[in-house]
Amino acid sequence: MLGDGALYGVLAEYDTPGELIEAARKVRDAGYTEFDCFSPFPVHGIDEAMGIKRTILPLLIFGGGFAGLLGGILLQWWTNAYNWPWNIAGKPEWSIPANVPIAFETTILLSVLTAFFGMWMLNKLPQVWHPFFRLERFGRVTDDAFLLGIEARDRRFDSVATTQLLKDAGAIAVENCHLDPDPASRTMPGWITAFIVSSTAFALIPFAIAAKARNSHSSEPHIHVFPDMDFQPKYKADAASDLFPDGRANRGQLAETVARGSLNADDTFYRGIEGGKWTEGFPKQLEISEQLVRRGQIRYNIYCAPCHGYDGRGSGPVPQRVAAGGGAWDARNLVQAGGPVVKMPNGQLFNTISNGYNTMMGYAHQIPPADRWAIVLYTRALQRSQNAAVDDVPQEELGRMPMPQMQTPAAPAGAGSAAPAAPTGSAPAAPATPAPAPAAGSAAQPENK
Amino acid sequence: MATEPVIYEPGKAREAFRAVTRDVAWVAEAPKPHKAWLGALGVSMLMLAIGVYSIFVLLTTGIGVWGNSNTVGWAWDITNFVWWIGIGHAGTLISAVLYLTRQSWRVSINRAAEAMTIFAVMCAGLFPLLHTGRPWFAWWMLPHPNDMDMWPQFRSPLMWDVFAVSTYMTTSILFWYMGLVPDLATFRDRCAARGEKLKAIIYGALSLGWRGSARNWHRYERAYLILAGLATPLVFSVHSVVSFDFATSQLPGWHTTIFPPYFVAGAIFSGFAMVLTLLLPLRHLFNLKHIIKEEHIEAMCKILLATGMMVGLAYATEFFIAWYSGNLYEKFAFVNRAFGPFWWAYFAMVSCNVLIPQAFWFKMVRRNVVLIFILCIFVNIGMWFERFVIIATSLARSFLPATWSYFTPTIYDIGLFIGTLGLFGTLFLLFFRYVPVIAMSEVKGAMPEAHAGGPSKGGHH
Amino acid sequence: MSALVKPLHPDEKIKAGKLGSSLTKAGVGIAVIFMIISIVLGSMQGDNWKRFFYSYVIGWSYIFSICVGVLFLVMLHHLVRGRWATAVRRIAEAMSSAFPLVFIAGLGFVIPLVLGYKDLYYWAHPDAHDPVLNHHLHHKLTWLSPGFFAVRYVIYGVAFSGLAIYFTKKSREQDETGDPKLSEQMRIASAPAMILYSLVVFMAAFDILMSMAPKWYSTIYGVNFWGSACVGAFAALALIVLGIQRTGRLTHSINAEHYHDIGKWMFAFTFFWAYTAFSQFMLQWYGNMPEETVWYKYRLFGEWQWVSIAMLVGFWAFPFVFLLSRWTKRIVPSLVFFAVWQLVFHWLDLYWNVMPQYDWQVVTNGTASVNAGPLMGNTALHHVGFSPVDITVWIALVGVLLAGIGRNLKGNLIPVKDPTLPLSLAHENL
Repeated sequence: MLGDGALYGVLAEYDTPGELIEAARKVRDAGYTEFDCFSPFPVHGIDEAMGIKRTILPLLIFGGGFAGLLGGILLQWWTNAYNWPWNIAGKPEWSIPANVPIAFETTILLSVLTAFFGMWMLNKLPQVWHPFFRLERFGRVTDDAFLLGIEARDRRFDSVATTQLLKDAGAIAVENCHLDPDPASRTMPGWITAFIVSSTAFALIPFAIAAKARNSHSSEPHIHVFPDMDFQPKYKADAASDLFPDGRANRGQLAETVARGSLNADDTFYRGIEGGKWTEGFPKQLEISEQLVRRGQIRYNIYCAPCHGYDGRGSGPVPQRVAAGGGAWDARNLVQAGGPVVKMPNGQLFNTISNGYNTMMGYAHQIPPADRWAIVLYTRALQRSQNAAVDDVPQEELGRMPMPQMQTPAAPAGAGSAAPAAPTGSAPAAPATPAPAPAAGSAAQPENK
Repeated sequence: MATEPVIYEPGKAREAFRAVTRDVAWVAEAPKPHKAWLGALGVSMLMLAIGVYSIFVLLTTGIGVWGNSNTVGWAWDITNFVWWIGIGHAGTLISAVLYLTRQSWRVSINRAAEAMTIFAVMCAGLFPLLHTGRPWFAWWMLPHPNDMDMWPQFRSPLMWDVFAVSTYMTTSILFWYMGLVPDLATFRDRCAARGEKLKAIIYGALSLGWRGSARNWHRYERAYLILAGLATPLVFSVHSVVSFDFATSQLPGWHTTIFPPYFVAGAIFSGFAMVLTLLLPLRHLFNLKHIIKEEHIEAMCKILLATGMMVGLAYATEFFIAWYSGNLYEKFAFVNRAFGPFWWAYFAMVSCNVLIPQAFWFKMVRRNVVLIFILCIFVNIGMWFERFVIIATSLARSFLPATWSYFTPTIYDIGLFIGTLGLFGTLFLLFFRYVPVIAMSEVKGAMPEAHAGGPSKGGHH
Repeated sequence: MSALVKPLHPDEKIKAGKLGSSLTKAGVGIAVIFMIISIVLGSMQGDNWKRFFYSYVIGWSYIFSICVGVLFLVMLHHLVRGRWATAVRRIAEAMSSAFPLVFIAGLGFVIPLVLGYKDLYYWAHPDAHDPVLNHHLHHKLTWLSPGFFAVRYVIYGVAFSGLAIYFTKKSREQDETGDPKLSEQMRIASAPAMILYSLVVFMAAFDILMSMAPKWYSTIYGVNFWGSACVGAFAALALIVLGIQRTGRLTHSINAEHYHDIGKWMFAFTFFWAYTAFSQFMLQWYGNMPEETVWYKYRLFGEWQWVSIAMLVGFWAFPFVFLLSRWTKRIVPSLVFFAVWQLVFHWLDLYWNVMPQYDWQVVTNGTASVNAGPLMGNTALHHVGFSPVDITVWIALVGVLLAGIGRNLKGNLIPVKDPTLPLSLAHENL
């Protein structure tokens, strides 16, 4: 008999599982409720003898599984179909057949977790401490002992009568179990609590570091735990190198040499110079054709139009943006009748495109020479069209032109039909001078600034 | 037959239970480990070292150290992955499916088989991780909010693998651990009785204060049954998902609808072979012959025979449908398997998986432990070749003859495979020495003595 | 403490008596009446009996599959030394012994096929030989020819009937002699029997159902058919057992525990069917190869999509969720509800497998018009086209099955001398 604390209960031992069942039935029939049987394996039939109600665990597991199913479907829908839709092999973004396996796995996973943790929770385990553990006999319950314990707190408990009941039921031994007189032995030792708290805190450190990194800035280079491709055995442009006497990784062009295909000897084609002067014509390599004009139009619209505008009047989106910001700046008007650009020889125009002028940068590194010549050609077409007269239109095309302006000059010209391609219009739009636009197709805008 | 209760002399039933505890605990309590055990552990750790070195070279150099090429992009790595995963499935089958179908003979082997599952899945998981080339980014496969605001691509079968294998791993560990708790409590009580305090505390913490209460057993049994019910479709799904890795593609020889059940049958087949390979020597070594009985081994041989036949049926079906379909590529793929450059692998597969297990028709063979061991090794080899045949032959001869190629493994392919065998062996041997190797509480519950005593006056039915 | 073994209740009525003959009479009656109605309805279709024969194949596959599933239970029970099913095994044997009659009923579509009926299976149609349209069919038209088909049909019939009769006969023999060695014999025989069985199930499914769409193929098809068959078989077993108990027989021997196990198997196969059906669908959907997806194209678009959805919900989701609970399987009325439900949906499954092939497309090939067979053309033009003859043929063939079962319900309804019977009677689920 251990200790002298309060009486916790009595523990009876039986020889066989069958006798344990009989004893359990008798104890239950005697009206006890705070009793339990202990055995090395689940004894078949004892649930009914003890009157144990079926556990609600299956219901919990069903709930867990349902949550897993829903979670799995939502996860895949939200990530792949809603938050970051992504076309893979032409499959629908929300591909239910392809989402079945993962939804199935999450269902199983959550069911399993619920089953496992739910079972321990309903069993109130882990609980390392129990009064019965103080009895040596109880140590054999995991080996060969079939025990029945009745707690003293049961309202029918009576030290003598209960013991007698257990003995009558065939117990081979009955002993009393007392609580440890020291109440401290019934609480968790301080060092275990300390260990749990400190290990939990320790485990949270990486998460804290990650959280901090997400919410702060640092000028320090990040730590390369795994270098991956961050550091490659190669030189970047203008890097230093010990390999060469000049300490530079860049190797310049050797003196007196020209790289293959970089001679560019043709002055007219590459520089717009013919006989020491700006050429007036076009290089002989180029065939002047509508195709070249169209090519020039495309290149012009890409590279030139942002400043000079689609119509060449110098009021592209960039000047407009300046105006919107309250400033005033226009690019050069390329098409002004009698203006400097109209008068410029082709070669000079080419040179301007290549090397820039005033604040305009050169485009030689972006636009190949043939395309620059195409832009020159298109600019000429633009100049012609922007300053054209009705006579310029071929006779057979004339009939096809919608020209309301000609019949009714007083009407607000082009209010409906003319495309608003050139909103140069800080100037009030005066009644339009008839100005058909044959090639470039932009609408009439008579006012020259 | 009458309803007479089984009568035992007083104390006899308890004696029988005690004997089980003693014999199982002896494996862990023997003061000195067996020499053969030490030797096996040494060999396993040496193999593990080879694997570690192979991984070191792989990580510092790159996937190029393997024999994989542009044509044969999946080779030994994925073969080994599928092989190991398949081996793991037998453990779940024994612990869950045989439990549901009330095959009580499973109790003698389920603990070891479940441990085998966990270790096999660990080995399996290694291969796809290493095949990514940068395994330290493996966590990218899990859905998490990241800087790039991108999510995993859930329509990919490879993502299904991530979920299936990790769910399988979790479930296997929990199922195994749950089964262990009552037995760990036994170890706890034995250590406490002998006065080994530290061990008692460790086993005590692990056994969660289990005290064999009938109220606890009630929920425990429900949970166990439901976990078995969940593990059964899970084990089907895991190998089906693995088979989807291949079958969702359009590659002839991979794209066939029978793959899911066929892979599952193959998995069970190889897994049972592995269980026998492990348990036959250990049973001999640790005197467990009266617990892991001859009948149990015979039953496993029969399962080997049955699953071997299923695999054979699947081979035949594939061939028939390849002809029936009229698909040129499909037909070529199968002719190439049997008669192409990898004919030797196909030959090994068919002979090891279909022909050799036919020996199990004879009781004489099913009772000859040495012969069973040898046949099981053949089955292990055959099932490895099955995956290799599916993966390598189909890739090496795909649609464009210009890309055709041949696969030859490098020493790092082989080294890593040996390494996983070593890892598996090491873990399994350690398990055998330190953990209750047989589910004592389940064995006791399945003994005739579990129904001992007590006239069943008030018994229902 | 519950008993491990239990003797047969002394008051138990185990003799079939007149039960068998009355069931046979009822079955024959149903079969004759409904077949006459079907023939009348079939002739009124004005489609050269095509609808009638399609319905006939569905109805025949239905009774065939129930026998297939029940035979599996009998053989598995022997193979694994099963215990719980001993109490219902004799009834299962009687059901599987309906095989010979089922095969005779199947001649109803096999004989016309051999005699040159060309509107049932497209491969029997002369236009199947069209070299341009059907070059994919050409190589297998010997395999799929009426003559060879009929030969295989006979082989299947002999194999299944032989297996069923063998196990029934041995089992009855044990009733007389009580020799436990017979159990052992049946156990040994069940292993090779299983091999024969699975081969024949696979091939029969390929031949009778899959070749309805002769250009389509799926390796899992036989497994899928077998899963569906077992759902139907366990559902039918539950109903037949209950029907016999309602006559006052076997009331003590078969209880909620056995129904629970039948329900468990029905549940397991419901899941298994869904697993194989999903595998087949998902892999073909994912692979997206036209020669495979064509089969699903006509089931996922147009009117048939509603049948497909009904299959998903009715044959899997709904019964699956409810059969999870142990109580739906143990409370007899609820088990009966789900058994009937699954029997209806098992029929729908076969209907869904067969009927979308009903519409054949005629295409013009230059000047001549050629019949291009099933699964061609606009999906919107493929109608479910439900017809009363679908149901009447089905009922008529179920009548044949009942007659076949009735013929074998004789003598003892329970294997009285089987050594495992006391275990089965005392059987309890956890």
